[in-house]
Amino acid sequence: MEFRLIAPELILAGLGLSLVTLGAVVKKNSRALAVVGVVGSLAALAVVLANFGLTQDLFSNQLRHDAYASFFKVVFLVILILLFTGSAQYVRDRRMPAGEFYALTTLATLGGFLMAGSLDLITIFLGLELLSIASYALAGLLKGDPRSQEASIKFFLVGALTTAVILFGISLLYGLAGTTSLTGIAAAVAGLSSAEFPLLAAAGLFLLAGLGVKIAAVPFHMWAPDTYDGAPTPVSAFLITASEAAAFAVLLRLFAVALPSLAERWQLILGLMALVTMTYGNVTAILQTRTKRMLAYSAIAQAGYVLVGLAVASPSGVSAVLYYVLVYALMTVGAFTVVLLLAGESLGEEIADFNGLSRRSPLVALMVTILMLSLIGIPPTAGFFGKLLLYRAAVDSGMVWLGLATVLNGVVSVPYYYRIVRNMYLEQGTTTAALTPTVPIAIVLILAVGGTLLLGIVPEPLARVVAAISLTP
Amino acid sequence: MQLPLTYVLSFSALLFGIGLYGALTLQNAIRILMCIEIMLNAVNVNLIAFSRYLSPLQPAGQAFVIFVMTVAAAEVAVGLAIILMIARRRDTIDIDRMNLLKW
Repeated sequence: MEFRLIAPELILAGLGLSLVTLGAVVKKNSRALAVVGVVGSLAALAVVLANFGLTQDLFSNQLRHDAYASFFKVVFLVILILLFTGSAQYVRDRRMPAGEFYALTTLATLGGFLMAGSLDLITIFLGLELLSIASYALAGLLKGDPRSQEASIKFFLVGALTTAVILFGISLLYGLAGTTSLTGIAAAVAGLSSAEFPLLAAAGLFLLAGLGVKIAAVPFHMWAPDTYDGAPTPVSAFLITASEAAAFAVLLRLFAVALPSLAERWQLILGLMALVTMTYGNVTAILQTRTKRMLAYSAIAQAGYVLVGLAVASPSGVSAVLYYVLVYALMTVGAFTVVLLLAGESLGEEIADFNGLSRRSPLVALMVTILMLSLIGIPPTAGFFGKLLLYRAAVDSGMVWLGLATVLNGVVSVPYYYRIVRNMYLEQGTTTAALTPTVPIAIVLILAVGGTLLLGIVPEPLARVVAAISLTP
Repeated sequence: MQLPLTYVLSFSALLFGIGLYGALTLQNAIRILMCIEIMLNAVNVNLIAFSRYLSPLQPAGQAFVIFVMTVAAAEVAVGLAIILMIARRRDTIDIDRMNLLKW
């Protein structure tokens, strides 16, 4: 039974190791590696879906298999499959080391699996590091490109510092509770005397700061625009979606399972952090001229929206977070796939490269428009429904100001998303040659945009699934 | 006679502070990396002390230290590779000079 439940992890580990070996053998053929990667990830996805409803603690409570972890695993695998499908051409054009790219992305996803699927600080730490260390190398994979190098070193130094901060928080928590299991910590913390409270608060703040860096929440976001801008495009997409989702998975588990007795204190801190993060991200995104940098600030703003669900800390907040994480992954991967498509003609780095896209390919322009509408949160897209869930969760638990801030921020974000749409339809581009996406990129775009529309028009099935997922054992 | 736990914890807090200060103020990437290692050692001291003083029969903290050291070694390996890649290209590993990416 145990091995059936960790089969997805085993598949990913095997896949990662075989990809790196295959990469050394078939150096020229990145498409073959992409096919192997997609097939392996689909197999893992099938097993995760088959095991979705099962709940069990595994390996002396080091791992926990439940619907919450399974949901995040589905999100990670969807991201991985879409990115593998869409990035083969980019990897070939930029002469990225293909074996390393596919293998490290797979192993980073495995790290995300461990983070989402554990209730023990040691395993969470190992998952976090597996994800992070693979990401540092991924960000620097364009070895000849100084921008990629710079993205990598900044990401590494900030990430390593973050690791130390998170570990210090973990060590304090361990000292207070005498155990590394989250449920054990919850029991121990409930019985702490008031003299020990400052130490507990310090541990909580260290962990919040460390995980805040990973989700790029203001004021811990300084590395994010540089890294997301300079890293190879598929890697940026992976970091913004999967890596942040994994950090959210841990943050939610940590605060809701281990530290519920501090709820009213961290609710306000997280709420303020959400407010500042979304406002800062949206306002700064308006000023950007580079596509990936704009998407990076947009990612900061979106992380702010997800933080609303964390701050609420009610069951409806948890469901809203889960819904939004999946929807956000689809929208972002879709947007980055368009950048990948334009990168095929050495375009897409600047927002001005979207000029006149509607005349080059009306269909792609329409898809981009749908993605942008969803990122703003306009019906009938999934982004709208996700924000509605977050808003409702905030209002229901009495944080009306936070709900209003979410809505107002949707308005603030209109200018920069709209600018891309306007550039596509109203501006003259440098070329009018027809733009035809390659088959893999077309598939990814159809899946991402189709998913965004479908989850917006018929949100009930997924909403029911996430409503049934609870955090506590 | 045993050293009081407070002494050990103060020592590790001091160590962590020194590392953090260095990591935030220094310019050379290798030095920053060394400062981060100092911070990780502060964590290790913490974990061992808590494990030894508070729950000597369940040495989860000491097991944790092994993981921390292993992971830190892996992290340093990747970090040094990145620094080497940059040093080959630019002849400097000063983080102040890495300013291609700015808005």
